[in-house]
Amino acid sequence: MPINYKTGIINEHKNVRNHSGIFDVSHMGQILIENNESYLHKLEKYIPLQLKKLIKNRSHYSFLLNKYGGVIDDLIISNIDIKDKSYLYIVYNASRKKEDEAIFISCAPNAEKIYEKNCLFAIQGPDSINVLKNIIDIPNNMNFFDILISKYDNNEIIVSRSGYTGEDGFELSIPNESAENLINLLLKNENTMLCGLGSRDSLRLEAGLSLYGHELNEKITPIEAGLSWALDKERLEDENLNGNEVLSDQLKNKLSNKKIGLICTSKSMLRDGMTLFDNNNNEIGKITSGCFSPNLNKSIAIGYIISEFNTDNPIFCEIRKKLELVKINNLPFVKKNYKKNGSIYE
Amino acid sequence: MGAYMSEKKYTKDHEWVSIENEIATIGISNHAQESLGDIVFIELPSVGSSVKAKDEICVVESVKAASDIYAPIDGEIIEVNNNLENDAAIINQDAENEGWIFKMKISDSNQYSELMSEDEYKQFLEQ
Repeated sequence: MPINYKTGIINEHKNVRNHSGIFDVSHMGQILIENNESYLHKLEKYIPLQLKKLIKNRSHYSFLLNKYGGVIDDLIISNIDIKDKSYLYIVYNASRKKEDEAIFISCAPNAEKIYEKNCLFAIQGPDSINVLKNIIDIPNNMNFFDILISKYDNNEIIVSRSGYTGEDGFELSIPNESAENLINLLLKNENTMLCGLGSRDSLRLEAGLSLYGHELNEKITPIEAGLSWALDKERLEDENLNGNEVLSDQLKNKLSNKKIGLICTSKSMLRDGMTLFDNNNNEIGKITSGCFSPNLNKSIAIGYIISEFNTDNPIFCEIRKKLELVKINNLPFVKKNYKKNGSIYE
Repeated sequence: MGAYMSEKKYTKDHEWVSIENEIATIGISNHAQESLGDIVFIELPSVGSSVKAKDEICVVESVKAASDIYAPIDGEIIEVNNNLENDAAIINQDAENEGWIFKMKISDSNQYSELMSEDEYKQFLEQ
């Protein structure tokens, strides 16, 4: 996947917000794990959900946790039937394939890495449904984080209503041999276009979504990352879950750091790794992701600051040895536009 | 380019330089503009400052990353393109004309003649 295609990041970004765009995310991990009680029990050591109770044809945002409650990876896990057999279908980060697969295989030795034979495409934006519906059968009542098996080219494909841009959209897992054909068919719609990693990053940042290696890593727990909504609270009482005590304590007590959104008041760009200061030049935090926001026409960022800092006071970011005033902005920067109906997940 | 301008030359850092009456006009090459992608902000150098060749004197921010711009030769900054303050994307549209970044009074014209010609720069890009 390139950083951008020929019209550039800003154009791709705006096309997704206003119409639709297609991302080839085939680099991501996709695995099928048989829905078998022994496998699920082993996986529940790492995944903070009640895996045996997952609703059929629904997806969940979750994590693999280490024994300190830190995030080994963040992932989407779904309960689906393929050819009358029940599976967990998990989509995970390309950069964490090695770590994740070691866990998946240790829990379920016959887990099937389907990214070896299936491409993964995301079509994102308000027009996604119109681009897709003439080609693939999408039920009218399909909501955000619903997932189902559909057909294309006489092959079974996995269709989920999900994505990483804050917009309505779909992700399609499709056999390699049919993938090019499908992309070309989708691209016949003149309001859609191929989009690259650059706009994927600016879209997810505007939507306030975390990126592994930036907002998330093995030293940060989901609670510290402001993602406690994705934890099943009953599981935090379960000693079979890695880091359950750390996480329970964190839920009850004040955290040392908190995740914030920032907007730069000058035209300078906020970038990953920059340091944040209070007005007495004390270091109070760091930026974990920063970029230019095409929707706001300003630089935006996500970062962590110490919880004891009073956010009524000014915050400065050091950019090329100069201190620039930044303002806290609630996440997300751009309102999410999901099609949903009583989903507990944001 | 007008006939009154000297030959345009290029640096290995992908800047272009043209000289008229000992005043050098400097910008980034079209190739640099293409590889940076959408340019959203430029921190212009300060007028009046004296700089040496290879000094970092200003920064171009694209959506992807920040890139330093180096002084191609020794001299004094005498003018900056203020249009870029409001619309840095001019560089994407016309990097080697309207997208000029700054002008300098040069102190050593030998440094200019050592820079690459357009053909040499093209060969440099192919390497």
